[in-house]
Amino acid sequence: MQRLFAIAWLTWKAAFRFRLFLVVAVLLLGAVVGLPLLIKDDGTARGFTQILLTYTLGSITALLGLSTLWLSCGTLARDVEDCQIQMVAVKPIARWQIWLGKWLGIMSLNAALLALSGGSVYALIQWRADRLPQKEQEILRNEVMVARGSARPESYEKEINAETDQQLKESLEKNPGLKADLKEVRQQIRENIKADYQLVPPGWPREWKINVGLTRQSLQGKPLYLRIKFNAVDKSASGTYRGIWRVGVPRQTPLWVSEEMSLAPDTFHEFKIEPCLDDKGVLTVGFGNLNNTTLLFPLEDGVEVLYPGGSFGLNFIRGLGIIFCWMALLAALGLAAASFLSFPVAAFLSLGVLTLALSSSTIANAVSEGTLMGYNEETNKLGHSTMDLIAIPVFRVVLRVINLAKNFSPIDSLSTGRSISWTDLGLAFAQIVLLLGGLLAAFGIIAFTRRELATAQGNQ
Amino acid sequence: MNQALADTPLSALPTPHSNGETVISVTGLTKVFKDFWGRPKARAVDNVDFTVRQGEVFGLLGPNGSGKSTTVKLLLGLLYPTKGHIEVFGHSPRHVPTKSRIGYLPEESYLYRYLDSRETLDFFGNLFRLPKGDRAKRTEQLLEMVGLTQTRTRAVGEFSKGMQRRIGLAQALINDPDLVILDEPTSGLDPIGCREVKDLIVALARRGKTVILSSHLLADVEDVCDRVVIYYGGKVQAIGTLNELLAKPDAIQITTPALSRETMERVLSTIRQDVAEAKVQIDTPTQNLESYFLAVVERAQKAAAQTSGAVAGATVAAYLRGETEAKPSPDRILERLAAPQPATPAPAPAPAPAKTVDEHKLAALTKPAEPVEAAPGPAPAQQPQPADLQKANEKLAGLLRKQG
Repeated sequence: MQRLFAIAWLTWKAAFRFRLFLVVAVLLLGAVVGLPLLIKDDGTARGFTQILLTYTLGSITALLGLSTLWLSCGTLARDVEDCQIQMVAVKPIARWQIWLGKWLGIMSLNAALLALSGGSVYALIQWRADRLPQKEQEILRNEVMVARGSARPESYEKEINAETDQQLKESLEKNPGLKADLKEVRQQIRENIKADYQLVPPGWPREWKINVGLTRQSLQGKPLYLRIKFNAVDKSASGTYRGIWRVGVPRQTPLWVSEEMSLAPDTFHEFKIEPCLDDKGVLTVGFGNLNNTTLLFPLEDGVEVLYPGGSFGLNFIRGLGIIFCWMALLAALGLAAASFLSFPVAAFLSLGVLTLALSSSTIANAVSEGTLMGYNEETNKLGHSTMDLIAIPVFRVVLRVINLAKNFSPIDSLSTGRSISWTDLGLAFAQIVLLLGGLLAAFGIIAFTRRELATAQGNQ
Repeated sequence: MNQALADTPLSALPTPHSNGETVISVTGLTKVFKDFWGRPKARAVDNVDFTVRQGEVFGLLGPNGSGKSTTVKLLLGLLYPTKGHIEVFGHSPRHVPTKSRIGYLPEESYLYRYLDSRETLDFFGNLFRLPKGDRAKRTEQLLEMVGLTQTRTRAVGEFSKGMQRRIGLAQALINDPDLVILDEPTSGLDPIGCREVKDLIVALARRGKTVILSSHLLADVEDVCDRVVIYYGGKVQAIGTLNELLAKPDAIQITTPALSRETMERVLSTIRQDVAEAKVQIDTPTQNLESYFLAVVERAQKAAAQTSGAVAGATVAAYLRGETEAKPSPDRILERLAAPQPATPAPAPAPAPAKTVDEHKLAALTKPAEPVEAAPGPAPAQQPQPADLQKANEKLAGLLRKQG
């Protein structure tokens, strides 16, 4: 450990002597203090705090991510190019210890910078909240500065798949000589069936059963929040759609009925409801469509119940913990690239990989459509290319790898007051740091161990 | 550095002793540098064989680009051989625990420029897992030895080349290594620094340490090395002890105090009876420039002249002399006795190293000459005999009583 810490200490010295720490700290604090002066919000304390959290934490993640990549590429590649690594490698320290020591140094720097900037964001939000009127403070502490658990209705995935298979079988029996692409036919049948679980026709109601499970005991007397999103089949003149919400089952549980609401489609809405749970912890949510058009509540995120689950402070720390895991991965990426490349090439490669990961939605589209050629709106058909045979399976693997790191959204969770559980943090650590970071570290250490360190002639 | 050592012609000091244990074994070593496409670009080292034994000062001599530094980097595991085999202390050069026995000074300063002298030594001490107290003690001793005590808080990047060599040398010795590999150690050093480095090499060798000295400076190699290997074009051109390589077996040299003309005539006439006059040379011995320069500087120092930057080091660090305590140890006593006593006040420029002729040597010189061949092994060891050690101790005890 003495050798590991010596290398980590060296990274700290370099960061301070080259003023990197100071510059990044000033930039981070500048983002925390400066952004609230520039951002526009919806005029409510809740909206402002949500945007503040999103922008400041987003900026911190971006700045820290870039500096982590830069530093991790530089600390190893520069040492090799300037021949200083020769002085270290001839001492009784294994190459993996040098590599890991560098990573530890960068991560300890990140921990300090993240604690500094995250602490500043937290203090700023608390300070602003304390200066708000009591009513707004209450809204803020119930809806944003809180760690709320969430529950969703059943996904009906099994039922939809079973019904799809049944209908496909019937279709094939009716049309034995069917020459269409079976995969596409199945997909169309599935979408039709799925729509039945999502659609609310004009003048009709729909009910969702949401089980909050064991937390029902702790929810007595506490406010619940319904978070909904829908799409409309036809456009309305006003741009909004009317409806009534009911929570609970008549004569079995307490009942809460909303006034008529007029809501915009394609965006999230959140409103307070009563905890009208039954004995088993099931909340029955009903919606009446008062429009002349059909509304669609997506199964994935159309209806969700949010309930108080813990304190904002701990939730904030867990959120920063996931950001820290991302930094660990970026540090491993930069070091892995610098293990076999020169500094500029390693930095370019790392930034390229980061850009690819950030633009994974394009890859996701190609994978979901099964082609690189996209959807032709004139012919209403998907394109096709021979490249798809190779690219789509590769993209599928790449997407799966990227999603291991991207499937966590701490900033979104914090700005919407949703709980980030210890399980989420543990999962993030396992997937991002241990699995992805471990793979990069293994690659980097092997490359660094095999590398001849005295081929550079030095730039000093 | 040690005053006694500084005042003594290096060739007059006891020669390092080898106990025969192989420290480095190189067989068929070849290094070919390749381009991006894997095509051979340069054959830096070509089928080299040599062995270095414990206690030897082994010189790698050759012009620039002859493969010396590449060999050193192969020995250290910084480059990997294309062909051949290297063993250092019986292990591969990449064997991590073995590296705790090695100290290395590269040809350029590859130190972290943002660390100061103290931090540099502390950092490298940590890599050897030295306890904090030992690191602090050795740091102080080494800084004093290399004359950088006054610049311990200055960043290494601000140092002159000579000062960077000094701190580089200090870091190479932080672990009291059994094998010291010095690549152009006197490059960038002033004559005092050069002399100090050479003194240090001799002191290390006298403690049984093995030293590999890579240099293109013939004087450095000649002054301190027991055996040398001469490279050219990546190949070994010659290998052997300095005596074997440099001796002219068909000629002898006699140095005496100034003689009267009559005596000289008598001697010459005797010699002319056996040798043609054209083959006899008579001249006055001159000291070398290094000895003269050192004497001048020493006089200036005694007149309290001040220099900025690095100052001449005081002594070889105590732990490098084998001292664990401040009080005299048997090793230290022997070392002091082995080195001649310092000359009194400002020594006049001393004559060049004078070789005494004894009966054995005379007998050897009058023997018929034999052709010189490269010796496969090191020079015969000259271990201090137990009787010598006892005599030395008695002498020291006598001196101490006189002082008391």
